[in-house]
Amino acid sequence: MDLSLTPEQDMLKAAASRLVSQEYPKETLLQIASPDETTPLEPWGRLASTGWLGILIPQQYGGEGGSFTDAGVLFEELGRGPVPGPHLTSAVLSALAILEGGTEEQKRDWLPRIASGEMRLVPAITERDYGWDERDVRLTAQVDGDGLRLNGSKAYVFDGETASHYLIAVRSEESEDVGLVVVPADAAGVRSRGLPGFAWNLAEVRFDNASADSTNVLGGSIAGGWDAWQRAVAKAIPVISAYQVGGCQAVYEVSVDYSRTRIQFGTPIGRFQRVQDQVIALVNHLDAARWTTYEALWKLDVGRDAASSISLAKAVASEGYYEACNYAHEVHAGVGSMTEYGLTLHTAASRTLYHFLGDPKQHRRELATALGL
Amino acid sequence: MDFESTYTPEQEEFRREVNAWLKQHVPGDVEHPADPADLTWDQYQLRRELGRQLGDKGWLWPTAPKEYGGGGLDVDSAVVIEEEIDSFGLTLPPYYDSGGRLGGNSILVWGSEEQKQAFLPPIFTGRVRTWQLLSEPEAGSDLANVKTQAIRDGDEYVLNGQKIFVGSDHGCDYMWTITVTDPEAKRHENLGWFMVPTHLNGITIQPMDLLISGGESGAGSGVKQTVYFDNVRVPAFNLIGGENEGWKVATTHLELEHGTGGRIGRNWLVDRLFDHCRTTERRGEPMTSDPDVRDRLIDVYVEAEIVRLLNLRNYWMRHSGANITYEGPQASYMRKTSGLRMSQAMLDILGPAGLTHDPELGASDGHMEAHSRAGIVAIHPGGTTDIQKVIMARRIGIGREVRERAGALG
Repeated sequence: MDLSLTPEQDMLKAAASRLVSQEYPKETLLQIASPDETTPLEPWGRLASTGWLGILIPQQYGGEGGSFTDAGVLFEELGRGPVPGPHLTSAVLSALAILEGGTEEQKRDWLPRIASGEMRLVPAITERDYGWDERDVRLTAQVDGDGLRLNGSKAYVFDGETASHYLIAVRSEESEDVGLVVVPADAAGVRSRGLPGFAWNLAEVRFDNASADSTNVLGGSIAGGWDAWQRAVAKAIPVISAYQVGGCQAVYEVSVDYSRTRIQFGTPIGRFQRVQDQVIALVNHLDAARWTTYEALWKLDVGRDAASSISLAKAVASEGYYEACNYAHEVHAGVGSMTEYGLTLHTAASRTLYHFLGDPKQHRRELATALGL
Repeated sequence: MDFESTYTPEQEEFRREVNAWLKQHVPGDVEHPADPADLTWDQYQLRRELGRQLGDKGWLWPTAPKEYGGGGLDVDSAVVIEEEIDSFGLTLPPYYDSGGRLGGNSILVWGSEEQKQAFLPPIFTGRVRTWQLLSEPEAGSDLANVKTQAIRDGDEYVLNGQKIFVGSDHGCDYMWTITVTDPEAKRHENLGWFMVPTHLNGITIQPMDLLISGGESGAGSGVKQTVYFDNVRVPAFNLIGGENEGWKVATTHLELEHGTGGRIGRNWLVDRLFDHCRTTERRGEPMTSDPDVRDRLIDVYVEAEIVRLLNLRNYWMRHSGANITYEGPQASYMRKTSGLRMSQAMLDILGPAGLTHDPELGASDGHMEAHSRAGIVAIHPGGTTDIQKVIMARRIGIGREVRERAGALG
């Protein structure tokens, strides 16, 4: 038993932490989040240049061939920003989907480009009738000559506006099979728009007679694509949970700091047990999320049956990040609601990630199934 | 990271050896009363005998130093023993003994060499069972407010006072306790920590009538006692850590009792609840097909998993020498509060069948009924949940000007 990180993981953590503080300071994160300002491209370029977008991609496809725990360590640090994507979507979810279901040619074509950050392949799965089940996929793919013609709309697409390509869940008009198809974001008939409001990096993406080359169907056929997607989701979830853990860690640290330095009634507010209650509830959520997440990552790395741990981690980390932000707001009161303070970046992220790839209720139901209830 | 011990071929061989030994030595008729107060004298003696045999092998307190009667084994070997004894439905030790788990560590850290030689081998080999005597009528959460006095008289200290919520059923060989040694001195600088042989004159033990005494079956403590000291003369040799140094000595066992010791293993009560719902039918269907039951079972499972992982983390932190701050009281707080919430889940799932140990109408041989009481009572021993939060805040560094450090574990 050894719950410490390896020396290499410690180095990765330190380097990722450095990159986040240098390339994604609060000012940059606020600028990216603001609908009125243009997103600077340099930070993404620097992140891509580290090679970390290939952390889960085998070396033969231009990646680093890291373990799931390695990825967890990296994405925990990115979650502390919270550094916006499309890294979880492209470098984790889509990369894993290609590894799970892509042809050899597709792996050789796409994975190196995802690892380099040049290809930002964002999964577009959910629709207006929101849900992550196969039954919820309505967007149609119709055979048209040598390729496919796509019609329909994807809603609540996480990182949808940052994509260079989409990995689209489609339903075959002919066979009713559900699979995955890759289409460039700038293809004819493809339009995206960001969703306004508290949603964090969500978009709608419409496909009006968009054409897809048959070589861009994942695995070469629509049938089987959804199964590959499900396997990828299972493996990606603990990495996403790690990102949520990083978010919890960041709001915990800022809350501890604030309760030590904010003076009211002539004393640091951390001396008040009512305030301590908030900080303690926060750290309890943080640690619950951390250890359920890292156990799931470990199970993936050693090849154990991880189904129950994966659902456990996502339910606990999603609830944990959500609650952690609430408690942080309690500690900070009015200051926390000021955009320039930065806490609301996490609060927004916690809400969007809460339901990404299934909300806690769904994962609790899946946990019951995994336990054989 | 590695959430399990990885075993060398030698350790796998060790596991086989432990398992074979246990098969041979664990008595077949060990029973687990739902309420630990129902542990009979005969059952207690069976466990003590097993404890002595384990002690002879160095397996009773596997990581305690060999020179003082412990096993001197590494963590992974200790885990092997704990896992194997757990598979027999027993704990290590197989009976209530706070000496090896708590008090012995205080002696290890603060005792003189002569004291360690005198007191530790009997504890770590299972020859003696000890009780802790901490709480008093005026000293619950505020332990430093104890009133029991130990006044020096020649080569002895004379003890007078009353301790409550003590020990278990079926007696003990030593009592370790904290008392006032200097009534004039300042708080925390006025205390002494003693090993008191139970056979001394002037000690009276009376059982307390409580809702329940403790939550854990198997190693649960059973009945709690009131202990009166009436001019009890204790040899000065039995004062550990020096006169007026008792608080320092206590910080070690308090730290461990507050959860820093960590723990490995599952919550067997959750397994029992799951089994009950799988095997009991309601309206012709297993209870587990009821969505409400499933939801509540998962609530219980999720919390139990979090507690398991925090205990595992603490176990690893303690044995790897990691820097421990708030983690002990956190695990204690989470275990206790989730235990109380579990009793509500049982009420939701089982209804009144969870409130009776009637052999016909009660659920799961009375184990659920016992927890409906234990979930409440277990909140308080070893520091209430509020006290755990106070300690956490100090360790996090917001409760006081200077960040509090964890007690020395040696």
